[in-house]
Amino acid sequence: MRRRRAGSVAASIVAIGLAGVCGPPVLRGQAPAEDNCRVCHAALGDPRLTPPVEAFATDVHSARGLGCADCHGGDPSVAGMEGMDPRKGFVGRPSKRRSIDLCGRCHSDATYMRQFNPSLRVDQVAEYRTSVHGQRLLQRGDTAVAACANCHPAHSIKPAVDPTSSVNPLNVSTTCGACHASAEHMRAYGIPTDQKAKYERSIHWEAMSVRRDLSAPTCNDCHGNHGAAPPGVSSVGNVCGQCHSVQAAYFGGSRHADTFQMIGAPGCATCHNNHEILASQDGMLGVGEGAVCGNCHSPDDPGGVVATALRQAVDTLRWSLDSAAAILTRAERAGMEVSQAQFDLDAVITELVSARAAIHSFALDSVRPIVDEGLAATDTAFVRGRRALADLRFRRTGLAVSVLIILALVAGLSLKIRNLRQARAGVSHGGNHG
Amino acid sequence: MAENQSAPPVASRRRFVDWLLGTSVGGLVAAVVYPAARYVVPPASAESAASSVTLPFSPDDVEPNTGRIFKFGSQPGILVRLASGEFRAFSAKCTHLGCIVQYRADLSQIWCACHNGHFDLNGHNVEGPPPAPLPDFEVNVRGDQIVVSRGA
Repeated sequence: MRRRRAGSVAASIVAIGLAGVCGPPVLRGQAPAEDNCRVCHAALGDPRLTPPVEAFATDVHSARGLGCADCHGGDPSVAGMEGMDPRKGFVGRPSKRRSIDLCGRCHSDATYMRQFNPSLRVDQVAEYRTSVHGQRLLQRGDTAVAACANCHPAHSIKPAVDPTSSVNPLNVSTTCGACHASAEHMRAYGIPTDQKAKYERSIHWEAMSVRRDLSAPTCNDCHGNHGAAPPGVSSVGNVCGQCHSVQAAYFGGSRHADTFQMIGAPGCATCHNNHEILASQDGMLGVGEGAVCGNCHSPDDPGGVVATALRQAVDTLRWSLDSAAAILTRAERAGMEVSQAQFDLDAVITELVSARAAIHSFALDSVRPIVDEGLAATDTAFVRGRRALADLRFRRTGLAVSVLIILALVAGLSLKIRNLRQARAGVSHGGNHG
Repeated sequence: MAENQSAPPVASRRRFVDWLLGTSVGGLVAAVVYPAARYVVPPASAESAASSVTLPFSPDDVEPNTGRIFKFGSQPGILVRLASGEFRAFSAKCTHLGCIVQYRADLSQIWCACHNGHFDLNGHNVEGPPPAPLPDFEVNVRGDQIVVSRGA
């Protein structure tokens, strides 16, 4: 099953209101006709009290028929301060800690949520309690950490599929970065604040922002959303393996898996980094400049020797593929029919990509058969390309010879015509004298 | 006497020109017509820059719940016959890194072995790293022939 977009689930989940104090609100289908909360607060013009009312018009909860009182309590049918009576359930602005339960009244109630989206998860609060955020807030009373409204801004909550939503995949890094990229906010926790900047240099962000592939991972895909926490060293491979399953399987069976575990190296991230994951290049393999194997291995140790051999194998296949493709392209551009050879060569891309995945086994025995199969195909394609170019040369030579013969023919005809004219002139001249 | 001495070179030159003209006809046929014919006669494999291809197998050759790779120009395509008997065809190049996909009868899905990418039988990427669906082709069955065309 495709990766779940935690962000999308989150926004959809928060999409339904938080009502009353003792249970989910009664579903009305639309906002109450006489909502004095909105009437008064819209008219106040107070910079603290009016903007929430205006923003709420765009909130998904408003669209589902929930109103102010469903979260804040009170009696919206009564105008003035009388409606804001604690005896009528008025809670005003809930504390961060209380907001968890307030949101959870609906979002943890499967029966209630089923009315809106039967497939929606209802375990956000349970997950939140396991998160670093939740543990700090609920166990230590740290109110600087994120709770529901920090990621799903109260009064303007939108579903994650909405590109303007704070939890749309394109916006998640900005939402998380609001705190995690802030040196001031993070000072008390002593954790880095460069994750967002690094992530935005990664291949994942490029896929997301440039290629607009919204399935590319963002913060919550590796850290979780409601249960956000750094993946443990031993689980990094599992997290990356959600998408990179073939590489993860090779790595899991390799000698590096146990060794990394033993020395506390974080699996994939040891070579590929965690947030600043760049596009993988063949140059990363081996012990030369820019190669990551050389971070631990010297050229002469057994691991370095294998790394060098792996690099040579992959390079050889890539060069052979490029050479064969180049000669076929030359032949094609010269007008030769080489589509079958190009079709057959296309299959070598599969071998090259498979070999690049197989290097995560760090065993030449896993890579060599794939490379050899690819090399056999590139050799065949190269021969077909050379044959096509030889055929082309033959045709061009034939054309040149034929042109020369035509020119010689034209020259011969010219001479013949001149001789005939001279002969005719001679006869005519002799006749006149006779 | 002087006229008699000058005649032989002229005759010799004329004979050479006559010989040249005569033999050129054969050379012309051999050296001009043959290469030109080689250019004109279509190559053995046709439909290289195809907008449609007739597959080299008949509908009966493709069992339900199976798939076959075919050549569409110089690019690979995959023909899938659903369990219902319906034919569908897609580009066989994975939208991730260009590996050639295959049909998995056990999953009733199109699958890329390189990175375990899965596509449903509408070509939609449903699991793994492929970022986009497989481009689809139109399939028409005309008697014993399967004709695959690029969509409009």
